[in-house]
Amino acid sequence: MTKVRKTTMLLVSAILVLATVLAGCSSNNNKNEPSPSPSSEASNTPSNSNETPSEAPSDVWEFGSEPLEFSMYGHYSWYDVPAWDSTVAGRWLKENKQLNIVPVSAGGNPEQKLSTMIASQSLPDVMWMDRGADVERLRQAGMLVPFDDYLDKYPNLKTWMGKDLNLLRSEDGKLYQFPNWYTGRPNGNAGYVINKKIYEELGSPPLETTDDLYNYLTAVKAKYGDTVVPYEPHLAKDLQGLGVLYTAFGENYLYSYLNASLRAVPQGEQLTSLFTDPVFREAMKYIAKLYREKLISQDAFTQTVDQIEEKVMQGRVAVFASSSPTTIAMQAHQELAKQDPNAGYFMIWPIHKPGLDKNKIFPGTYTALGWNVNVITKNAKDPEKIFAFLDWYTGPEGQSLLFFGPEGKNWKGFDADGHPIFTDQYDAAEVLELQKAHDPIMWNGNTGYIDPAKMKYEAKLPPEEQNWAARYQSTITWLTQANATEFINLDPLPDSELGIVKQRVDDIWDQAYAQAVMAKDDAEVDSILDKAEKDAQEAGYADLLAFRTEAWQKNKAIIAGN
Amino acid sequence: MAQSSTEPTIAALDRKPKKNKNIVVRMFKQWDIQLMVWPGLLLVFVFSYLPMYGVLTSFMDYSIFTGGNIWANPWVGFKHFKMFFEAPEFFEVMRNTIVISLLKFVIGFPAPIALALMLNEVRHMVFKRVVQTITYLPHFMSWVIVAGLTMAMLSTENGSVNMLLEKIRLIDEPVNFLSIKEYFWSILVSANVWKEIGFGSIVYLAAISGVDPHLYEAADIDGASKFRQIYFITIPSILPVIIIFMILSIGNLLNAGFEDILLLATNPVLRPVSDVIDTYVYRVGLSNFRYSYATAVGLFKAVISIGLLTMANYLARRSGNSLW
Repeated sequence: MTKVRKTTMLLVSAILVLATVLAGCSSNNNKNEPSPSPSSEASNTPSNSNETPSEAPSDVWEFGSEPLEFSMYGHYSWYDVPAWDSTVAGRWLKENKQLNIVPVSAGGNPEQKLSTMIASQSLPDVMWMDRGADVERLRQAGMLVPFDDYLDKYPNLKTWMGKDLNLLRSEDGKLYQFPNWYTGRPNGNAGYVINKKIYEELGSPPLETTDDLYNYLTAVKAKYGDTVVPYEPHLAKDLQGLGVLYTAFGENYLYSYLNASLRAVPQGEQLTSLFTDPVFREAMKYIAKLYREKLISQDAFTQTVDQIEEKVMQGRVAVFASSSPTTIAMQAHQELAKQDPNAGYFMIWPIHKPGLDKNKIFPGTYTALGWNVNVITKNAKDPEKIFAFLDWYTGPEGQSLLFFGPEGKNWKGFDADGHPIFTDQYDAAEVLELQKAHDPIMWNGNTGYIDPAKMKYEAKLPPEEQNWAARYQSTITWLTQANATEFINLDPLPDSELGIVKQRVDDIWDQAYAQAVMAKDDAEVDSILDKAEKDAQEAGYADLLAFRTEAWQKNKAIIAGN
Repeated sequence: MAQSSTEPTIAALDRKPKKNKNIVVRMFKQWDIQLMVWPGLLLVFVFSYLPMYGVLTSFMDYSIFTGGNIWANPWVGFKHFKMFFEAPEFFEVMRNTIVISLLKFVIGFPAPIALALMLNEVRHMVFKRVVQTITYLPHFMSWVIVAGLTMAMLSTENGSVNMLLEKIRLIDEPVNFLSIKEYFWSILVSANVWKEIGFGSIVYLAAISGVDPHLYEAADIDGASKFRQIYFITIPSILPVIIIFMILSIGNLLNAGFEDILLLATNPVLRPVSDVIDTYVYRVGLSNFRYSYATAVGLFKAVISIGLLTMANYLARRSGNSLW
């Protein structure tokens, strides 16, 4: 009996010890590996990059001729690279082009994930992330692969992006970033969506000026009371519909002026404070009046996207504005129109303050550089092959695959413009489905190519049968988005002196903005903004503006040099 | 069987006089017991003490690209501590941290004890079990869900709280609860109590079940009312447990919360009342790569917490129920 007991205890203890030792070891390994002497660290990284030039022959590597596998990571809390097999395009590329992509998950906490990967030197081969500080930091540490040697060999990016590529170049003159949704043409969806049924029930009044809008919202409130939200601005803490409304008060005033990456108004050659800008103040007073009279959703600053979606889907909003209202509104339109052909949503030409030229009002902006970028790290064994893939992906074949599926069903061959030729079996529903499913793997969308390609199909249809979003893109939103390329890359590094100033100014802004919207009267709006201006100046706003003015002038010089 | 049960006693008697013997020999003799202690010690050492060298980065300008080799970073002394103390947000952040954690302590600590005492008096077993289960379930929900529920309930558009208050004519129009500074602390503390009350009460219920029933019988015979029984028997009996949990929660005083605040205080208007040390570190430190700064603030918090813990323990020792 004793023997048995002792043996059991011995076994249990041994297992426990083993488990602890193993756990201890693994954590030790993680910590120790990256911390050998600096010399070995230094020799590690370059050895990787040294291999590549010797392997890279001067001739062009054809994508698909050999198997290619690399890891990919998206630096966003709401995003993970999907399993490569899970999409139509992924399966097709695996079978026909011998390409496999291994996802690296951010686990909802990208800051921590990226930090860990940097510190343990286990960066993935390709990272999909925002331009700016993170990329710059990685570049300075020598962790990114420059693309300059590949640009001429694989010409799609160079062809479609043109000289705007120079704006993406880093300080050392090299190109490290492969852009996503870059374009030479206006694009974007910012604007106002109107609930058709409510609009018609109220007698279809004019909706052109800010006064019209105010009267309309008041009428909605009077007729429907609490059951309908007159003006739904999406997530107000991200500006959204309130930022759109701001642009109504000044000709050529851009939504971008409010963004954290600019937060200034250009006056001549200088960037100046927003808090003292008369146009901004006038807009804030108008918005505060709407909010005070409960014409703007009272939950604007606290609600979640789910709550917004629910309201729009049920047709419980009269006017819905945001920097991209089309996604939710298109879905809602289709649902509502199914039940009642007179219900649904439509878009209007942007609202303007009476007296202003409505053709100089731009509720949204686009930049030639598009949204975010792909970078290839020095951990990649074959950066050239990865670049070759990215370049193929952004070209006509890759883009047509993503938007219209594999060649053969919906399209076959390319026309003179290089756009796909649509077949008779073109299935609009399937295409819509494909585009939605492929959205998470559209890493380097070529807007300048795909927008006209999409329109080519839509243009053949009568307006009622056109895709809801495409219809308003071609008639309204693309005509009313302004080019804000000159305002990119104006941020100081976050842990520099100016970075700390920027962070303070952002904090002051966040608070003052929300307070001003909720102000009791015009005088309070003024006093809140006066105080914000004072606090911001104490925090060093003027230095930040000077820094940004300089960077802005530099951008303008590059653009003019094109 | 008899032999095995007497063995430890003999061994224990055996060991006592040999106390002065070589420690290695002694440890070797009790190898079977030592084998059970060491894994625990090792675990604490590896996961709690080994990573502590990281606090050194609060005295450096740490760059993440140096990886684990922190010695490659330049020493800067108390620069980051000074920056924190001189930051314009410092007083606001400290005040919020202290007020929120005190509120959570004053309300959140006794709440589970009260629930346990009340549940203990419930004679209907089915009802008791149902209440227990319902109250401890929220503990297993993440704050994302709890905050989502709270926000939906307090919403001005179809929020159930506003609808109820309107129906019973307490208010004329919806109140924007989550955008008014004055309400935030009460909403935060209520949500916390709601989420944790049931789980916290489990320990006290267990302690209460260990009270000798003869004491109640005797009290009954002496004619003591229910309230007097609770006051003179139940509470004194579970006092050691209460005190130990109190010491632990005093050590946690500066942890005013993180997820709950981050998720509930989405409106920037609330920041003057909602910004606590942890949310501040997250916003200013981690999201901006200022690791040294974040570590310095964290270290400052840890030092104060240790001070509070020691103080609480000192006070408790005088009542004879200290942790150490």
